[in-house]
Amino acid sequence: MIKDAHAKLSILLQGKVPDTIGLENCASEDEHKLATLLNDLFAYMQEVHAFIVPLSQGNISNISLPQPRNFLSSPFKELHSRLMHLTWQASQVAKGDYSQRIDFMGDFSNAFNKMIASLDQNEKELKIKIAELEASLSRISQLEGILPICSHCKRIRLEGADPQQQESWEVIENYITAKTKTMFSHGLCPECVKTLYNDFT
Amino acid sequence: MSTSQSTRTFSWQNLGDLELGRPNLGPMAPVLAYRLMQFSLWDALIGEFGQEKANDIFRRAGHMAGREFCQNLLDKNLPFSEFIAQLQKILKDQLIGLMRMEKVELDTMQFTLTIAEDLDCSGLPCTDEVVCQYDEGFIAGILEEYTGKVFHVVEIDCWASGDRVCRFSARLLGDASCD
Repeated sequence: MIKDAHAKLSILLQGKVPDTIGLENCASEDEHKLATLLNDLFAYMQEVHAFIVPLSQGNISNISLPQPRNFLSSPFKELHSRLMHLTWQASQVAKGDYSQRIDFMGDFSNAFNKMIASLDQNEKELKIKIAELEASLSRISQLEGILPICSHCKRIRLEGADPQQQESWEVIENYITAKTKTMFSHGLCPECVKTLYNDFT
Repeated sequence: MSTSQSTRTFSWQNLGDLELGRPNLGPMAPVLAYRLMQFSLWDALIGEFGQEKANDIFRRAGHMAGREFCQNLLDKNLPFSEFIAQLQKILKDQLIGLMRMEKVELDTMQFTLTIAEDLDCSGLPCTDEVVCQYDEGFIAGILEEYTGKVFHVVEIDCWASGDRVCRFSARLLGDASCD
């Protein structure tokens, strides 16, 4: 039995899982106990191997978990649990829920939580920008089209107003200020100065 | 029981005013105190009623606590995902445990979650048994209070059975796939 156990432990140390040791070859009760324990160890290793290989390939939802009391698998089960949690949280963030946070998972927590906060901030800023652009677009659209203008005094006729009524005509500065929030400062161009104040030039 | 206490129904108000009552020591207590109470009470209940009944009493107590916890500390109007984020944060802030949702199937109301560093069993020697019956009830109570539906919660992995993580499966009571 000892020779068999030696060979099978060597296989285990090469990263493979050996067959069980035949109990019928045990020469004593002690050998029987040792072989039983080694067979338990091989079974645990087999279970861990079957669990960790698909896990390392990213298969986390459809793998069979090792049985309780397999202490060799405990850290891997913990890792699996955390990967499941991360997957669920990432899917919630993808749906726009930025209230999710990862607790106490070292560097990953920091990076993940910063990413969520950053996504949240970027989305808020983007929404503000979109609102600003929409407001600008709205103002621009108000200036598009054909404006009825007095060919002499340059007043603008208000939309839908009676052209026969003087109050229907708005001074152009007032019209543009109302539509675009643009303010005017007043001066005179050289030609007008010449026309108006020719005696002083 | 014939004392006036026999008609008492647990509610959040039973917890008292901790700011008034513990102005110096504050509201927090070591896990040691919690476990002293938990395991001595559990043993006493097992001695009186047997293991199964004692477990059931713990589960029912957890259920009451979960409902009151949800009513008093959680915003039940939040959408599910945000409700879970809030629950996770409050359990952490209250030093109760680190809850991590693993799987949610809202259509069938089936959830899988873990609680790490919990009060009941994290760090216990392996005894080959699950010991978080109180938490089973606690989670069922919270889910019931939030959804208005009755849940069956089972601990499927436990630190005390060598798993290093306490994992719970929650199903609607009457769900054919219940354990």
